[in-house]
Amino acid sequence: MRKSSVAPYLLLLPVLSLLVIVILIPALAAFTQSLSDAPIGRPSTFVGFKNYAQVLSDPNFWRAAINTFVIVNVVVFGEAILGLGLAVLAAGWMPLRGVFITALLVPYAVSEVSAIIMWRYLFEPDVGAANWVLETLFGVQLLWPINSIHGLTLVSIISIWLTLPFTFLILYSAIRTVPKDLIEAALVDGASRPQIFWSVTLNVIKPALLIAILFRYIFAMRLFAEVWLLTAGGPAGQTEVLSTYLYRFGFRYQNPGVASATGWIMLVMSLIVAAFYLRRLQKASPTNA
Amino acid sequence: MPNIGFPEKALRLLLAAIAILWSCGPVYFIVAASFKDPVNIFAVPPTLIFEGTLDNYRLLFRDWPQFVQGLINSLIITVGATLLTIAVSTLAGYALARFRGRGLTASSFFLLLVRMFPPIVLTLPLFGFVNQLRMNDTHILLIVFYAAFFVSLSSWIMKSFIEGIPVELEESAAIDGASTWRILRSVILPLSANGIAASSVFIFVYSWNEYLYALIFTTRNARTAPLVLSEILGAVEGVQWGVLFAAVTVQLLPILIFVIAVQRFIMAGLTAGSVKG
Repeated sequence: MRKSSVAPYLLLLPVLSLLVIVILIPALAAFTQSLSDAPIGRPSTFVGFKNYAQVLSDPNFWRAAINTFVIVNVVVFGEAILGLGLAVLAAGWMPLRGVFITALLVPYAVSEVSAIIMWRYLFEPDVGAANWVLETLFGVQLLWPINSIHGLTLVSIISIWLTLPFTFLILYSAIRTVPKDLIEAALVDGASRPQIFWSVTLNVIKPALLIAILFRYIFAMRLFAEVWLLTAGGPAGQTEVLSTYLYRFGFRYQNPGVASATGWIMLVMSLIVAAFYLRRLQKASPTNA
Repeated sequence: MPNIGFPEKALRLLLAAIAILWSCGPVYFIVAASFKDPVNIFAVPPTLIFEGTLDNYRLLFRDWPQFVQGLINSLIITVGATLLTIAVSTLAGYALARFRGRGLTASSFFLLLVRMFPPIVLTLPLFGFVNQLRMNDTHILLIVFYAAFFVSLSSWIMKSFIEGIPVELEESAAIDGASTWRILRSVILPLSANGIAASSVFIFVYSWNEYLYALIFTTRNARTAPLVLSEILGAVEGVQWGVLFAAVTVQLLPILIFVIAVQRFIMAGLTAGSVKG
């Protein structure tokens, strides 16, 4: 291990400049913008936290915030449970394991736009195959264009479908690190298999599970295309999420102050989750402080 | 693993079948429908056996020439963003793997931290800057943006792979008088091929499929395939769904084959990079 001279900083320079120019400076500029009252490109007036007050007193913002909160929790915990189940399934007795894992990875290749088209085709009212099955078996349909609960349900299903491969892979690699002799020892002691799962397997993979959940939390909050292309926030703004709210104010209503204030609220929320995540990451790998 | 009986094997196979239907079903239905005669696409109940036709593809390439342009743009941007990401993250990964210092610890923390910023927050200021520079609707713009969103992850992946290369190899090269640059090129680069593959996958798939930044920063010249897909989605009525499904199939198949081909690198990258378990 070498002591640092100027060389490592030269090597880091391209990455750091990209991050500073594309992410850090615009993020700070968004903060300035959120404190000012001006259309894009015109001289701005400092208005303090007026935009934040406007955002926080807008019932549409709160609807978007609550929708985001609900979707994020449904998606992240739905993925964690399904991912864990699939990981257990894939790690146990499974003929053609490689084919099974490949099949589970397929949605990772699908773009958000295509995923929406696929699921719309399945759930198109009256004619979609999945709605046809629901109608035939239970006499109900998922009427996502007119019912906001149904719309949010379909958005959550699509999001889970798109990112389950990621959660599954993390949990699957974690489960494979569970030492075999630990399980055998527990079997010798007369533990049942559910007991072994709860007290041995789950214990070993707990750090990975927690990190996967926190990591997905940060990314699930960004949800945009699924809502924008499926319901566009409708009917009547009832399926709006934070990203579509921001986009609408920034690029449709030409109100960069309100949009940037919304953005910074999202940023702070992400950073709060990120604080837990980074802490956990540090604990998991003490050498990479 | 204890021996398991027939009922449990049957249950496992049933669950596996449901999981495969869930993950591959939606893709299969769209791809199959793209070969159906438009009148059969929304047949209820769905037709499972049908005579294939290429009409939807013919109509797609006749009515949507911008889709082909979109695919070309996507390819340019994807390859560009991947090359840029790999080039700069290999350098950064090497610095983080082989040197120590307070500034480097701070840099690696900064790398993680900026990944937590939701990209949509940056769109408005970036939109302003880009307009001032008159760079809207160019390929290079999306290349730089996409690379910026992935250099953190890639640098961490490269760091972790380079740490696996025995440092003695470099020391002997250094004794022979090789410069840092030389060591990087002739020792590190060939030995970190797996790391490069692992970090390429993520940026490659992301750039090929990204929607939000393409929506905001392209209008015509650099419009990517997912954007054209959303335009076709907005324009379809009735029987034209077949054209849309053909377009989805064309956009999806190359990247699906790629993902299946490199899946072992996805796993390696996940364990090495973002998420340490």
